[in-house]
Order: sequence, then structure tokens, then C-alpha cells
Amino acid sequence: MKILSRFALIALISSTSLMTNAAPITWRDSLEPISASEWSRDRAAHLLERAGFGGTPSEVALLAAMSPSQAVRSLVYYRASQNPLPPFEDSGAFDPGLDPFAPSRPAATDLAKASGEALGVKAKPAGNRKLQQVADRYLYWKRVTKLETERVAYWWANRMLLTQRPLEEKMALFWHGHFATGDEKVQDYRKMLQQNELLRAKATGSFRDLLISVSQDPAMLASLDAGVNVKGAPNENFAREIMELFTMGVGNYSEKDIQEAARAFTGWNYKGLGYVMNPQQHDDGLKTVLGDSGNFDGVQVIDLILAKEVTSEYIANKLYRYFVREDVTPAMQIKLGKLLRDTQFEIAPFLETLFESRDFYSDASVGTRIKPPVELTVSTYRKLGLTQVPGIPDFNVLTESMGQKLLNPPNVAGWASGKSWITPGLLLVRGNFVYDTVFPPVNFIAPDRVAEDRFGIVPVADKVAMGMDVATATKPDGKEVTSMSMQNDRDEDFNTRLASYHAWRKAIEKVKAIPRMPARIDLSQMVRDAGCMTTQQAVDHLLMRFLSVPVDAETRRKIGALLEDDLGTADLTYADSYMEDALRNALHVILSLPAYQLG
Amino acid sequence: MNTVEHTPANTARRDLLKALGAFGITAGLPMSPARAANSGHKRILVVVEMSGANDGLNTLVPYTDDAYYRLRPRIGLRADKVRKIDDRYGFNPGMLGFERLYKEGKMAIVHGCGYPQQSLSHFQSMAYWHTGVPNAGERYGWLGRVADAIDPQLTPNFLVNIDERQSLAVQSEHHVPVVFDDPERFARKGLRQSRQLLDTPAVAEGSNMSRAYLDKVAASAREASQLVRAAWDGYKTPVDYGIRPLDLNKVAAMINAGLPSQLFYVSFRHNAFDTHVQQNEQHGRLLSYASDAISGFMKDMERIGRADEVTVLVFSEFGRRVAENTSLGTDHGTANHMYVIGKPVKGGHYGDAPLLTDLDDGGNLKFTTDFRRVYASVIEGWLEHESKVLLGGDFKPFPLFG
Repeated sequence: MKILSRFALIALISSTSLMTNAAPITWRDSLEPISASEWSRDRAAHLLERAGFGGTPSEVALLAAMSPSQAVRSLVYYRASQNPLPPFEDSGAFDPGLDPFAPSRPAATDLAKASGEALGVKAKPAGNRKLQQVADRYLYWKRVTKLETERVAYWWANRMLLTQRPLEEKMALFWHGHFATGDEKVQDYRKMLQQNELLRAKATGSFRDLLISVSQDPAMLASLDAGVNVKGAPNENFAREIMELFTMGVGNYSEKDIQEAARAFTGWNYKGLGYVMNPQQHDDGLKTVLGDSGNFDGVQVIDLILAKEVTSEYIANKLYRYFVREDVTPAMQIKLGKLLRDTQFEIAPFLETLFESRDFYSDASVGTRIKPPVELTVSTYRKLGLTQVPGIPDFNVLTESMGQKLLNPPNVAGWASGKSWITPGLLLVRGNFVYDTVFPPVNFIAPDRVAEDRFGIVPVADKVAMGMDVATATKPDGKEVTSMSMQNDRDEDFNTRLASYHAWRKAIEKVKAIPRMPARIDLSQMVRDAGCMTTQQAVDHLLMRFLSVPVDAETRRKIGALLEDDLGTADLTYADSYMEDALRNALHVILSLPAYQLG
Repeated sequence: MNTVEHTPANTARRDLLKALGAFGITAGLPMSPARAANSGHKRILVVVEMSGANDGLNTLVPYTDDAYYRLRPRIGLRADKVRKIDDRYGFNPGMLGFERLYKEGKMAIVHGCGYPQQSLSHFQSMAYWHTGVPNAGERYGWLGRVADAIDPQLTPNFLVNIDERQSLAVQSEHHVPVVFDDPERFARKGLRQSRQLLDTPAVAEGSNMSRAYLDKVAASAREASQLVRAAWDGYKTPVDYGIRPLDLNKVAAMINAGLPSQLFYVSFRHNAFDTHVQQNEQHGRLLSYASDAISGFMKDMERIGRADEVTVLVFSEFGRRVAENTSLGTDHGTANHMYVIGKPVKGGHYGDAPLLTDLDDGGNLKFTTDFRRVYASVIEGWLEHESKVLLGGDFKPFPLFG
């Protein structure tokens, strides 16, 4: 056997230290800060995992070299860190004729039929399919906002990967799940982007400020049908979600409270990308909400809600469950609510206390959180040292297949957390994500360029190109038809299947393409840099680098043996020129361990 | 290690065991399940979701009701076109399978299903049906809760959801639902030399509950994916499920293979039934898919001798507006039919049909049957479990089962 180098020894010691770092049982539920003497590499790694998306060994080492209090403050009070990241690069596919957008295709074509114009496009005065361009335009925007939203998601994922302020992005992600808004409903990527920037800008400030801003955010207003909440005909959707999902939780208010609160929010609406309040639609009469009476407006109702202790407990609890662990004792819940009230609903100092607490580093917390798909993906990329989110496989397709698509949460309640991320099928998908990252598919088709089969666009385009008449070209060929936009539309004013083809063509002409590079991985360099001389040292280094929980000796040995078999030697200096694929295979095995889902 | 009873019902099991020999696994198979009194197996419930809000009035047409034709002058289906099942109702012309199932006495039609303060959002309403808790944010699905209640021993592969993603309906506190879409792709990628490490990860000791859970799911994933693929590979049927089998052929394969799954959930994809525009041709096509697939499935169950053990529940998140819209389609509505189908079902009409002449302010039907009564009916009448706690209220079951 070769003599271990000094670096490799360090790597080995770090990886084994995972197993000898048990925290006293009394740490559980204690909000006392840990002391500098209790600080360690593993605890720093845990902090970076939770307050961010994990990191490389050198990033961890940087935090480990600080005191725990300094480390936490460097993450929580992130505005001190320079963070030069590019703004979202808009494709410029929007024009003012598209605002306000029609609520449905029939609404657009009916309007054009009645008034001669819709969505900024005139109906043809004579000839066949007079409204074709209107139908095209309706579907054009539908495709544009979907494709552009996917670009916003890519932009955001790249921020998560490259940011010097990981907590900022993590909190934006937390609030995105809390104030769950999706482009499928909003149908305007610009509003989604604007909301995303709002959630980031106010991520760790005052919750009251954030709540009011979100309640007046066009994406949220559109998402919760605020436009139909008017004096005399209040819509309860908005008020209900504010109480049920955003502040108090179900069971802490009455139906009457919701009806009355809905009246206070009447007239709240948006125009374009701005909030507007229509005084003539606002009901300024007397309301009774949560036991108080007055001529309340929406902001006053929000303050009534914030004055209830249950609200602080609800929010504190949700933050705790996201950042620390899922199970919260009733006593802890009360303690956390008080902590949030003590910080006047300021999020940063609340998180500072959490991240410094013994409870955060207790055995009940460390390595027990199942990473949500976006975090799993981004943290994998970070730990691989990537400088760009890979285009192959597609980030949005990947994360959606694992159950979490950015800017399109499943419903107003956001994503369920914890165990619900894992099903047998999804666990396999998570493993296959790693496989496709280290061995990218060779038959990749870019979903932002090639139209999905289910829209039936390609056959129509082919037939039209060969000079076929529209009616024949768009006749369904007996295959299944599931989307409204694909119906064989006999209305002579327009043809929706033709519109679907036109819309896609026009959309991909405008919307910029997502760069399609596979991950640039260099595991050979990674293990060289770590000073690994043997296959076992390489495996141990990868385990240390990627996993938050220890792996049993037998598994370590087996993966070491796998790598040695693949390379035909245990000697990495000998295998140096050809070890990349074998290292990737070993990494796939390591990241497919069930334990890799934990952070 | 295990003995297999040599009864006809076990033939499929033996075939599966043979098929699984290649994988060297049998552990997930039920060896001696507690069995229903008069059959060799436990009772199975298959839920079919018609997502997108199916137009109930053009599914089961009240062809003698003048109001129907008055409100739907252009899209109303003519009396001479519908498949009449009695002197009031006829199925959509494409639904031969449903007509037969009804006439054979295997279909209960429950009228007027809905809930108070009906949400007209697909999203929200579907979540209410999934959880069985309208107007609230319940975490677990109704089938997930049913699984936890009737299978406290947490039988692997008990709860199956075939879809692109997991439905809220099967979200469970304790069960790990088997969720997959394409059996061929319900598989772990990995190079040959790594298979053993990938497929049999060591189970960790210690107090980390999340880790224990992951190890459990990993074992279940390995087992379920191999079982499902083996079941699928070992399944051939002469029965025609129509153009879109709605994943019911996959359900049949799993039943055929003798897997211990008792609760299945399948769904139309992509909000298919959202027929706002030019609906008749499109809607008729979708209904024929549903009718062909469900009747094909029932035939297949007869073929493999399991028809006595299977009940199908069909629902949609709401119905559609009674009056047609200006685009020859229909907008979001309220009350709708639910269908409970199977050999064990006592066929006929249940519940009161809402009047087309007594609509609410939005021009919608007033619901007459809380949909949770139908859930209660299958929970109590078919799965033989008390429903009150599961559904968070006392919902009177219909006597749908003999």
C-alpha cells in the first residue's frame, strides 16, 4: 500500500469525524447558542446546508474558521456580501397589445368578432379565417409566458448556484412555497419575475412589510382572483388564503371572519405590473374581523391578523419546520412564536437565533431533512463545483419530475414537505437525475425548441409546408387529443390547431433559447486536489464532500472496491489519465444512496 | 422458504414468482393475506379521476327534460342519438360500455354530487375531492387516510397511483404509495457493475427517522419497480381497452400478478375534460375513452376471475354550467354524477337529480348529495371500515353494495 499523503489523511479524518460528533441530548429544543468550542467542520457544513444549498469543502472550511456566531451572521446578514449576479435577460416577447390578456381563447376571439380587434390585433375585414391572427396571438402569449417562465426559473437556479448570499435565495424559495403563486394561473412571466424579486428583496426583513407587499403584488392578486372581489360581491378566495395559508392556519378564524375580511380587500386589483386600488369598488362599511369592529381596509385587517399570537406561532413554526426539522413540540411552538414576536416579526434576527441554537445542531436536527428537489439539484451542482446550471438534462424537467417546478407550485398551499417528497418512483427519479448528470443523455431534445407531441404541432407544420389546405392539415389523425387548444375547431373564423402551430413558431422565434451544455464535471481534478492517492481515499473524499450523514464501513469499502475494479488498480496516480468515468460511476452510486437525500 | 397454495387464483401468482425468479426477489408478495370471506383476495378499489370537470349533463343526458334542450339548444344531445338506459336518461352516444354496465346492473349512478360553497377552480375543487375535506387545507388525501386506517400493518405496495406525479388523493401519513407512470421506465438507471450496490443499499441503524424512512422507501422502490415491471411484462390480455386505456390495463396487470395492492388511483391527464369550446366531438371522444377503458377493465377482471373483488369509483372535480356558452362549449359548473361500477355493486340510480329549472345565481345546479356520502359508501360498504373519523363527519352511506 502507498503511504497516505498529508492531504488525504485530512480528508479521511474529516469524513470519519462525521461519526464522532454526537451532540448532548439536552441540546434538543434549546435555543441557547452553541459555544465557539463546540464549533466544527461538520457543524459549519450543516449550517451551510440549511441556510443555503451546501457548498464545496473550501466554502465549508471558511465558515468553520469563524466563530459560530460570526458564521451565522455572515449568512444571515448577507447584504454585507458582494453579489454581482446578472439581472434576468428578458427576451422581449411582450408588447402592450397583450395587456390585459384575455382570460380564455374564446374571450379573445369573441371580442375580436364583436369589436373587430383583440389583443392588439385586428380581425381581417374579408376572406377566410378572419380571426386567425387573434387566435394565433392568444396562443402565442400562452407559449411565450410558459417558455419565458422556464427561463426565469433557469435564471433563478443559476442565482442559487452562484450566489454569495445563499440564504437570500433560500428564503426567496421558502416564501415562494409559502405565498405559492404559479404561472399556469397567472399567465404572465413578468408578474412572476416581479414577485420573485419582491420575495428576494424582502426575504429577511419585516414579515408585515412582506405580507402587505405580497398582498398587493399583481401575480398574487391575479392568482387569487382579486379582480372579482368587489363591493357588493366579495370573493372570499383572497381573504381565505391570507388567513388559512399565509398567516394563521385553518381553525383559527371563522367563516364569518373570512367574509368580513373579504369586504375589506374589495377593490384591490392590479393594472399591468402595478397595484391599483379602485375606491368605488371598495366596501368601506363597518366590518367585524377576529373580534374587532371598524371600517377596516385590507392593511388594517392584516394588522388585526398579525396581532393574534397564533399568527406568530404559525409563521415561526413554518420557518422552523423548513430550516430545522419537521416535528415541533407544542412547548417549542409557543417558544418560537414568542421569539418571532420579540423580534417584531423581523425574520433575520429570528433566523440568527435558530441557526445559532443548540437545537439546530442537535442530533434530532442534523442530517434529518429530506432535501426538496430544487435544493437537491442545486446543492449537487454546488458540491460538484459547477459554474452554470447544466442545460442537459433540463433543470425544469428534472425538478418537475421530482415533484417541484419553480414558479409553478402544485396549488395555493405550496409544496408539501418532508417525507412527501419521497415516493418509490420519485426516489428512483432522484437517482436517475445523478446518472443523467454524470452520464448526460445523448438523445436530448430541448423542450424549449421542439414542440411537445401532445400539442400536435409538428404534423400540422409538416402538412402545411407541403401545401395542404388548412382543414385537411389540421384534421386530427385519430390520435388522442387532450388539450383544449388541439380541438378540431370547425369555427370558420379561425382554426385552433393552425393557431397552435403558428403560436409555437412565433414564440420560439422571440423567446431566447436556454443554453444546452451538460454539466462540466472534472472529478479527476477534484480527487487530485484533495490529495487522494488510492481509490478508497477518493471514495471517502466524495462521501465527505457530498453526504451529510455517515455511511457504514462496509458500504464505503464496497464502493472503494467498485472503483478499484473499474480502474484495475487501487493506485490513483497510476489511473490518473483514465479515471474520470470510473469516478463518475462511483459518484453515481454514492449519490444514489438513500442517505444522499438528507441534508 | 414460502409455500404457494395451488389454487386457480394462485396461477397468476406462480407466474409472477417465476417471472421474478430472474430478479431473485419474492419478499414483497403476499403469502397469506387475510382474505375476504367469499373470495381468495382482499377487496380492491380503483378510483378514476376525470380531471378538467366532466360535463355530466352530456354524459348522462336527461333526454326527456325540456329544460335541458332549452338551455343547450346547440350542444344538447338529441333524444334519438343517446344510449337510453331508462325512460329518463341516456348515455352519450360513444358510451356503449357504460350502457352495458348499467344494463347488466353493475353500475350505481349517484346524482347531484357536490359540496357546500362549491369552488369553481379546477385546482381548488380537485384538492377538496382529493382530500375529502372541502374548504380547507387538509394535508393527506382521502385514499391515503383510508390506506392508513384499513392497513395499519403498512403492507408494501398497498396503495398505487399511476400518473406522472403523485396525486394528493393518495398522500398518506404512513403508507408509501407506489407511484409510477410507465412501468417500463419505473426503473433505476445504473451500470452493470454497480447494480448490486444500487439495488441493495445497507440499512442504517440509529435514531434518524428520516433516514429510516428513506431506507424503507428505497427497499420498497426496488421491490415495487421490479414487481411492477414483472407484472407488466407477464401480462397479456385479449381484452380491448380502447384507444386510451387510462392506465387501467396497468392496474389489471398488477391485480393479475397477485400484488397486495388494494387501492388504485388513475386519472385522465392534463385537465382533459375542460371543454369550454366546441365541446361535443371532443367530449364524446373523451367519454368513449373512459367508457371503453372502464368496461374493458371490468371484462378483463371477469376474464381473470377477479370481478367479484373489484369496484371502480369515477368522479370529476365538478360538472359544467347547465347552459351552453357562446363557443359551443360549457363553463365551470357544480353538481355532477359519480359512478360506482363493478360486479359487487347494486346498480341503479342513487340520490336526487338536481332540477334544471332550479339553478343557483350562477346558473348552476344545486347539489343534492355531498360527495363524501359516496366516499363513505365505498369505505363502509366495500372496504368495510367505519368512515366517520376518516371523513371528519357523519356522511350517510348509500347501500351501493349487495
